[in-house]
Amino acid sequence: MNRLLSIMALAGCVLLSAGPLNAQQTMPIGDAAKGRLIFAPCRTCHYAEAAMGHNNGPNLHRIFGKVAGKQAGFEYYSDTFKAAQFVWTPEFMFVWLENPMATFPDSSMMSRGVSDPQQRADLIAFLKQASVRESPVDD
Amino acid sequence: VSKGTGDTGISRRALLGGLTATAAATLAAGAAALPRSAVKSWDMQTDVLVVGSGAAGVAAAMGARQAGADVLLIESLSQFGGSSAMSGGVIYAGGGTALQKALKVQDSVEDMFRFISLAGTVHPPLDKIQLYCEHSPEHFDWLVAQGVPYTDKLTLTKGLPMGDESLYYSGNEQAWPARDLARPAPRGHVPGVAGMNGGRRLMQVLLSQATAAGVDLRANVRADRLVIERDGRIAGAQVTVDGEQLAIGVKRGLVLASGGFIHNREMLQLYAPQLYDCSVPWGNADDRGDGINMGIAVGAAALRMNEGFAIAPIYPPESVLSGIIVNASGQRFIAEDSYHGVLGDAIAYHQQGRAWLITDRDSSYTFHQDNFLPVAQASTIGDIVATLDFPKGALQQTVAYYNLHAANGEDPMFHKSRAYLRPLQGPPYHAWDLSTTQAFFPAHTFGGLHTTVDGQVLNSFGEIIPGLHAAGRNTSGIPTAPYIASGLSVGDCTFFGRRAGRAAATGLEEKV
Repeated sequence: MNRLLSIMALAGCVLLSAGPLNAQQTMPIGDAAKGRLIFAPCRTCHYAEAAMGHNNGPNLHRIFGKVAGKQAGFEYYSDTFKAAQFVWTPEFMFVWLENPMATFPDSSMMSRGVSDPQQRADLIAFLKQASVRESPVDD
Repeated sequence: VSKGTGDTGISRRALLGGLTATAAATLAAGAAALPRSAVKSWDMQTDVLVVGSGAAGVAAAMGARQAGADVLLIESLSQFGGSSAMSGGVIYAGGGTALQKALKVQDSVEDMFRFISLAGTVHPPLDKIQLYCEHSPEHFDWLVAQGVPYTDKLTLTKGLPMGDESLYYSGNEQAWPARDLARPAPRGHVPGVAGMNGGRRLMQVLLSQATAAGVDLRANVRADRLVIERDGRIAGAQVTVDGEQLAIGVKRGLVLASGGFIHNREMLQLYAPQLYDCSVPWGNADDRGDGINMGIAVGAAALRMNEGFAIAPIYPPESVLSGIIVNASGQRFIAEDSYHGVLGDAIAYHQQGRAWLITDRDSSYTFHQDNFLPVAQASTIGDIVATLDFPKGALQQTVAYYNLHAANGEDPMFHKSRAYLRPLQGPPYHAWDLSTTQAFFPAHTFGGLHTTVDGQVLNSFGEIIPGLHAAGRNTSGIPTAPYIASGLSVGDCTFFGRRAGRAAATGLEEKV
């Protein structure tokens, strides 16, 4: 519960300042190339490409900057995420992905997360790139 | 899929129902299984206890309930549905299902049986396959009767339909050598919902029907160990709720249906080393082998523990299938239009995890994709080789031989379908890395407990362990390696899950 409170406080911090977080752990510099396969298991439920739409989890296109739990057309948010008022930032996702089921026990996301901080940072670095591709034909 | 908290949720108090947890303190730690004598009293009793809420568990619970038993189903996570709810929700069905008939698709039980028994592993479980095929039309009727929505639409496009089509060729039926072994038919039956949400829809329907039938579903209850009588009969299970251990007794039987072990790295390394190397574990968070280990701990035999679904999803687009796939010797080893589970198996189990897709201009990926990285690009095949470590001249020889025959519409080695067969010509050429460690290479496990067609768990002497049943990926069933079609796993879960539940409810365990 302490962890839940601290992350909620963190969420407030994101809302109020939108600045760098004074989180207990600092996010390492991520490597997007290494993050490609760290993110891959997430694709069981989430796609970063807009055209793929929602799956078991909400679509992640342009996820950073969105208020959590509010995407149109996704009907399976937990109460916590429905009521959430925080904005997804890389820093917040870094905290959340350490142990999602422990952080928000009512979340419908059945993932044990990525415990290694560097791998988590790599995942986020990859998602920052993959979530902003506008056209699939850009290669 | 559905919330485990709230109405169907459980706290320790709720599970106890006013009872005192006298048993908890007496349970010995560290035992592989608990002797019945270590449990002074049950915290709860039920006719049938089902462990796991994926397709197998829910089907088992429905089967047991239909047979008149009181059923308690426990799920370790907060959400019901298991890996099935995360899957495409495909059921492999045939032999003339209502949907096949509505779409005027020709199929027979014999062709379905021939495909499943001949196009995959050697020495497949023929008893299960025969039963599965013979009852496939009625099993599909059962799914329809539960309310699983299917549309009268067929697609011939390879891969899980992104539209609302409900019937497609979900496997290797049309690829060589399968097409010579059995007359191909589309047998992938998938809920008619857009996108890859068929599994969620399937499980929403089944969970709702299980609840309506009176199955007692409890989330956040984890089974730890089985409780065993002095005579070997399974008496119940020790479970954990809110950090406390409780004992649940069964009057008729217990069904293990808690999935495979793709998320247990230690078990993968020990039992399924080829799957350990696949880059993407594919399954729900608690596919950690708990049920399999509980079974082994009471003497169950475990089969095919190294086998699994290893996937190299090179299509869509189908245009890439005009490329060729080569191993580390620069040689082809499979028809490129094989089902992606058959291709993945060939790479993971038979090519030391290494392969490359070689494309020309028209077979190259035309859009950004993160699945397979281009590791070489050049204007000639010879220059492609310069950056890869193939034996001298091998790839050039492979391409020359392939092109010579492809120009005549022939593939003497692997008989790739004519639709994808043409010479590889026209730069730029690319080599795409299909290796298990570098490609997007999802995997999950097929190994599990040895069971009869009624889900009775067998020990290593081939004898039934009284009171113990299992279903789904907790068992070794119809899905074996290579995985030859989507829908065989969830199909096996639902079909044999129902049978295991019925058997557990009726005490069917005395005869093999």
